Amino acid sequence: MIECKNVSKIYYGDVPALENVSFKIEDKEFVNIIGASGAGKSTLIRLLHGEEKPSSGEILFEGEDIVECKRSKICQHRRSIGIVFQDFKLLLKKTVFENVAFAMEVSGKTDEEIDEDVPKVLEIVGLEGLEEKYPNEISGGEQQRVAIARALVNKPRVLIADEPTGNLDPEASWEVLDSLIKINKYGTTVILATHNKDIVDKVEKRVIILEKGKIVSDQAVGRYNLKNNE
Amino acid sequence: MWLQFSRTLKTAVKNFRRNGWLAIATISVLMISVFIINLQISIVGARDLLLSDIKNRVNISVYFTPEASESDVKKAEEDFGKYQEVEKIEYISKEQALEDFNKEYAENEILLKSLEEIGDNPFTATLNIKAGNPRDYELIATMIKGSVYQEAIDTVNYDKHRDVINSLGAEIESSRKTAVGLAITLGVVAILITFNTVRLTMYSHSREIEIMRLVGASNNFIRMPYIWEGLFYGLISVTIALPISYFYLKFLTQEGASGTALPFANAVYIQQFLDTVFLENILYIIPAEIGVGILLGVVSSFIAIGRYLREKKGR
Repeated sequence: MIECKNVSKIYYGDVPALENVSFKIEDKEFVNIIGASGAGKSTLIRLLHGEEKPSSGEILFEGEDIVECKRSKICQHRRSIGIVFQDFKLLLKKTVFENVAFAMEVSGKTDEEIDEDVPKVLEIVGLEGLEEKYPNEISGGEQQRVAIARALVNKPRVLIADEPTGNLDPEASWEVLDSLIKINKYGTTVILATHNKDIVDKVEKRVIILEKGKIVSDQAVGRYNLKNNE
Repeated sequence: MWLQFSRTLKTAVKNFRRNGWLAIATISVLMISVFIINLQISIVGARDLLLSDIKNRVNISVYFTPEASESDVKKAEEDFGKYQEVEKIEYISKEQALEDFNKEYAENEILLKSLEEIGDNPFTATLNIKAGNPRDYELIATMIKGSVYQEAIDTVNYDKHRDVINSLGAEIESSRKTAVGLAITLGVVAILITFNTVRLTMYSHSREIEIMRLVGASNNFIRMPYIWEGLFYGLISVTIALPISYFYLKFLTQEGASGTALPFANAVYIQQFLDTVFLENILYIIPAEIGVGILLGVVSSFIAIGRYLREKKGR
């Protein structure tokens, strides 16, 4: 469903952030992307999400090249991908419910649909009862699950998580991981970029290792195994 | 479409309420800008009234000799009236001049008695001439003195007032330029302040905009709440600033307040400006100002938001 063909990204300067990266992700897969800081994980995610365009190469999403997409098409592409970040990126002046509802408003859903779907997705991530709280009134783990709920509410085909446990303690990290595994079981493709060795080893899924912008390993059931053990 | 319209409006109202202080600060700055612009407009308006008033008072008088016949004077009136520099020409006959004098000095017995002593009407026919532009008086005076009526003319009082009239012409010209220049400068400053304030407000929304992009909002959907917000800012600030400007000026022109409270304008003319030009055109001024306020707010928002909507560039 997602295919990168010889994707390179060079920012200003000569060092490429990504160099000739090629891989394929099938429907309903759970893929870990690991690598040291600066290995190119975040760049790859921004490219997959359509926030940036690669310097060269193709990125196919369900057969369509998103590099060539028009701006309006990119917005639609983003709606079919849920995304979660290390710093949650919640709107602090909106409640939990509003934060999740926001993603539905953006995609033009009616108020009735919003009232129906938001509680359901909050239940999936275990946040029922916190609807009226503001982000700073709940824990980091709960905030990240709000972000996951927001990413899920538009029923995306793919969920991308960029270091989702980076700011969380181990217990909260497990909760987030549980949510991701559950979502994957329901049929959503999950791409998890992480530093967290315990998590990668526990999920026992495909692992792509990036080093200095290149893919150095791609194993169907891999473990967290970086050369310099970062 | 309607959903997007109502939804962005709702978001804007919520933003407005939840960012209370920011909204108040932005509106205050906008209000001050509008206030300054209003003051400037009033000052320029009052100046125009003052100048046209002065212009109306200045004229040159052509005194004819006692020997000049009425028909000569009438002919001269007709001929001088054809000069394109002349705006108005008024003929005052000997009899009229005497009558005017008697009226004006009705209570001054000594003067009236001495007039009686003379016995005859000592006044001569006069033409009062008004120029469209004060600078043209010299030219008009020269033309009159060089005309075929020079024999019949006793004096042209331009020579007596030459310096006053000349400096008045230059003064009017330059002070008008100064006032308009100042108004434009302050207007530009006010616009820049407005733009910058809105830009800072939008900066405080940059995180929100980033998140909107991430969840796949179209640029229009992102822009709309902030355009609404800009519209509110413009609308509210003008609605408050307009009456404040009016009552502030009204207060300044009250008795007891300094007569030269504002540069380049006299209280009397400010008062006159408010009572005539302002109140008579209030039905145009209110929508025009609100329109300008809204435009300023909306355009500022539109430009300010643009920078957050651009794609990140790489190579």
